[in-house]
Amino acid sequence: MRASWLPEWARGLPWLPLLVLAAVGLCAAIGEDMFPFDPNQLDLSAAFRPPAWQEKGSLLNPLGADNLGRDILSRIMAGSRVSVIVCFYAILFSGGIGALAGMIAGYFGGIVDAVLMRLIEIQQSIPAIALALILAAALEPGLSTVVVVIVLTYWAWYARIIRGEIIALKGRDYIAFARVAGVGTATIFVRHLLPNIFNTLVVLATLQVGQVILFEASLSFLGLGIQQPDISWGLMLADARQYITNAWWAITMPGIAIMLTCLSANVFGDWLRDRLDPKLRQL
Amino acid sequence: MSGFLIRRLAQGVISIVGASIVIFLISRLSGDPILILLPNDASPALIEDTRRNLGLDQPLWRQYLIFAQNALAGDFGRSYRWQMPALRLILDRLPATIELALCGLVFSVLIAVPIGVLSAVHRGGWIDRVGRIFAMLGQAMPAFWVGLLLILVFAIHLNWLPAFGHGGVSHVILPAIALGWYPVAAQTRIVRSAMLDVLDSDHIRLSRALGTPEHLIVWKYALRNAAIPLLTMLGVYFAAMLGGAFVVETIFAWPGVGRTVVEAVFSRDFPVVQAGVLFTSILFVISNLLVDLSYGIVDPRIRDAR
Amino acid sequence: MKPWQASILAAMSLAAPAVGYAQAPKPATGSLTIAFAAEATNMDPAKYAAGVDQYFFGQIYEQLVRPSPELKKINWLAESWELKADGGKPWLDIHIRKDVKFHTGDPLTSADFAFAYDRLRDNKISRWTHLQAAVEAFEIVDDHHFRIRFKHGDGSYIADNLQLWAMSKAYFEKVGDEEFGKHPVGTGPWKFVSRAIKEELRLEAFDDYWHPTARPGVKNLIVKIIPEDLTRVAAFKTGAVDWMDAVPPSMVEEFKKMPGVTTASFVAPNNLYVAMDAIGEKSPMKDVRVRQAVAHAIDVDAIIKSVLFNQGERYVQVGRGSTGYDPDLKPYPYDPRKARDLLKQAGYPSGFEVPCYNLTSPREPYIKEVGEAMFAYLISVGIRCKVQGQEYGAWITFGRRDRQGHIDGFYSNMWGHGSPGDPGTPWAGHVHTYVPGAGWGITSVHSDPELDVMIEELKQTMDQDKRDALIRRIARVKHERVAGGFPTYRPVVTFAWRDKVTFVGWPLPGFWRNMQQIGLKQ
Repeated sequence: MRASWLPEWARGLPWLPLLVLAAVGLCAAIGEDMFPFDPNQLDLSAAFRPPAWQEKGSLLNPLGADNLGRDILSRIMAGSRVSVIVCFYAILFSGGIGALAGMIAGYFGGIVDAVLMRLIEIQQSIPAIALALILAAALEPGLSTVVVVIVLTYWAWYARIIRGEIIALKGRDYIAFARVAGVGTATIFVRHLLPNIFNTLVVLATLQVGQVILFEASLSFLGLGIQQPDISWGLMLADARQYITNAWWAITMPGIAIMLTCLSANVFGDWLRDRLDPKLRQL
Repeated sequence: MSGFLIRRLAQGVISIVGASIVIFLISRLSGDPILILLPNDASPALIEDTRRNLGLDQPLWRQYLIFAQNALAGDFGRSYRWQMPALRLILDRLPATIELALCGLVFSVLIAVPIGVLSAVHRGGWIDRVGRIFAMLGQAMPAFWVGLLLILVFAIHLNWLPAFGHGGVSHVILPAIALGWYPVAAQTRIVRSAMLDVLDSDHIRLSRALGTPEHLIVWKYALRNAAIPLLTMLGVYFAAMLGGAFVVETIFAWPGVGRTVVEAVFSRDFPVVQAGVLFTSILFVISNLLVDLSYGIVDPRIRDAR
Repeated sequence: MKPWQASILAAMSLAAPAVGYAQAPKPATGSLTIAFAAEATNMDPAKYAAGVDQYFFGQIYEQLVRPSPELKKINWLAESWELKADGGKPWLDIHIRKDVKFHTGDPLTSADFAFAYDRLRDNKISRWTHLQAAVEAFEIVDDHHFRIRFKHGDGSYIADNLQLWAMSKAYFEKVGDEEFGKHPVGTGPWKFVSRAIKEELRLEAFDDYWHPTARPGVKNLIVKIIPEDLTRVAAFKTGAVDWMDAVPPSMVEEFKKMPGVTTASFVAPNNLYVAMDAIGEKSPMKDVRVRQAVAHAIDVDAIIKSVLFNQGERYVQVGRGSTGYDPDLKPYPYDPRKARDLLKQAGYPSGFEVPCYNLTSPREPYIKEVGEAMFAYLISVGIRCKVQGQEYGAWITFGRRDRQGHIDGFYSNMWGHGSPGDPGTPWAGHVHTYVPGAGWGITSVHSDPELDVMIEELKQTMDQDKRDALIRRIARVKHERVAGGFPTYRPVVTFAWRDKVTFVGWPLPGFWRNMQQIGLKQ
């Protein structure tokens, strides 16, 4: 889509991925009243109803029903809300904490930097999924635990990259001038450093969306992620594997939802990276 | 170089000690193994006895010191459930996990290099687009889901490949794909951009002008240089494979550390969790160390920036 | 006829007692690879921690008494035994078979049982010392005759097949504790060859096994461990294994229709129930009418059919085949209108809101979905469940009175009665009033003094006929008052094997994965 009537910044935008992401956001926003069915409503007579286009399918359950006769489309829509909530908080906090730690480490250097770097290294030397498993078992599994686990796993990722950027920025003349001129540290952070790492943060946050969704799915699959009655795509997959040969749609549809969302977020993230911060390409 | 090496080694040791504290503390917070170990109708006296026998009646910091002291002597305690040394349980299973991680890594490189090269050569063409989407799919699907679908298609319906266990080459194919697809996208990107840089360089243009056949230029001269950034990153991807193994091993009944640790978390078998995660952490630290060292060799400027 | 009945009938003819069988059986030949869904953590019968451990040592070790394929207790290593009493104190007089050898070639004697008894009651070794707590003395009369004397009656001793596993004292003294656990030696049909944890167990038929008919028909048995359902199915379908444990319930129908494949289904000894708080000051379930409403509100049969693919058997207090089973005791019929009426009578015309805790880890197949369905039925009569998931590690401490006080609301729970079962121990644990430190009511959220008295009497009753009658009486009361939870179902497990394999299902004390009689067709 390269319509000439678009403003210049919008030309070449990855429209398809953006549409998918918008659809996910919309499902999350509209609330359960708008769904075709209550996503937790059992109907044993509709158990294993195939998707509408198959024999014995019904338009009542366009994407079919699961083993308890719950509407898969409604559940995917409801699951999008959990995905969005987890992504939002996980990215906000891991990005926020990570960026702050990275800025502090990079700006102050010395002992502060050394301590923070060791913390980052400790964090990154433990396999994320193992740490997440133990943590999730220690806290009570559930939505907020998933967020905490992801934040604790990802803050170091942000911190390390941001620190590198800050070290490069610190050498710039205008930062040095500001310091000499007696500008307060907080002001330097907000006025001079933050704007310069903003692009990087946006790119990292976008690329994290897919990772968060996959991470949540893996945790839920292992039984320590989202707990019922909350609905998540990962949990739907974990449940559906018990009857995978009876109902291909139950394991396929939520998987496709995950795939489309992650792919869209990643394509968009790539696009942003190429525009905003090409040096991040090894991520 | 040796000063750098010593500094990095020291940092590695700090990381591992720190990791051991973190793992120890969190796993202790994760619940009480006694009730899982003992039958429902066990008497309170037996519960107290067992707690004392396992050293769980001590304050946490003392439990850690005892653990650390013994660990240094190579004793990670006995598994509560398996009633054997936790270290042996983990070390016996470590080779299988490393094997799986290496196979996953080989799979990813075998896919990523051709896609990366072809995308660079046919920049903007359909190969570039399709290849990149294929690579990105790996980053968009949960590994366990890929694993289940692979089993469904290749083992159950087509009956081509075995779906479980540890044996010949055929056993490792499906788990290696499920594990190795994830990093393909990142690797493709590295190869592609490195190829683009190299293909634009003067000496390639010169070879071209001299009439060297194009396939030699691309697959021999250019790739040789473009592969360096990928090679330096292999340690990072290997570490990622170790992490992914936790889930993939569970699906494919792979007798590795990942599956052992996952089950140990559920049964609150602390010695096994500690030994398993710690040894994976050590592998992590070693791979990252190798990455830094290889950077140092390839381009000394980078090592100071990191 | 249900499939499990078919297989049990088929087994009956093979399981006849071995007395007077003259011809020595031929040594077995050939190899067979099979798949289990779970594996033992250790192989020492004195150290076993979980029921799953019996999957391995149950192939190698044997007990004095065991259940037959048709769930009758039969003398096994015991030639005969008798319950007697001196001055009110009961004792067991036991004669053991003289033709039994360990895999080392040593003959089995009374000293080996004395050794087993010593290990089982040692706190440092065994987790089951409480099961020997009522024993006063173990007396050896001669090499094949011994007595077990009790301080007071202990009903569980006989219910649990006289507890003791035959362990070779001579072998233990030769190799020591570590090797004893690593390389088990028993009297059973299979000799231990090797094991790789998370991978496989290798066994070899014991040619000098004492039983002439109930014995392996193949020389080498390789047990692969494949926990993931789909992976195990793939292994069976690709021919990597010829016998498989735990066909996923959703695929049982497909397996039954598969050409060249035989299946058999068995009732697992786990008894599931919905626990409900009947002691909390404000708990609506204190009122018997509310509990009866719950019993009428849940359509257990429909859940078994649709959610469990028929892989469950409904039970009313006591499972079929267990001590005290009462065929005349019928389940509460599904009647949502009656449920609502009962709620109205109890003063809840518009229902009430209540927390409902659901176990989400697959401790048994589909347990989470069953819970979701049950709570949905409760919601539909006005008991508005606020469902919360519980992962296994959390769930295990969850219902423990000594840990968490008492749980309000409803939660999914279970307590196996054994196979053939006896509800004595489970009822002492979840029906009897909780008494701190005394071992009564460890997961109980119920309190009924009348039932307490009867359950205490049951614990001391060793005589099987008296026990049977007492269990029936308790079951009636428990049923009428919906005391100690609402019993739902016992899971059914299905095995599948290729037609070249011969297999007879023998229950271990509690599990059906015993390879007592597996072989290849000649």
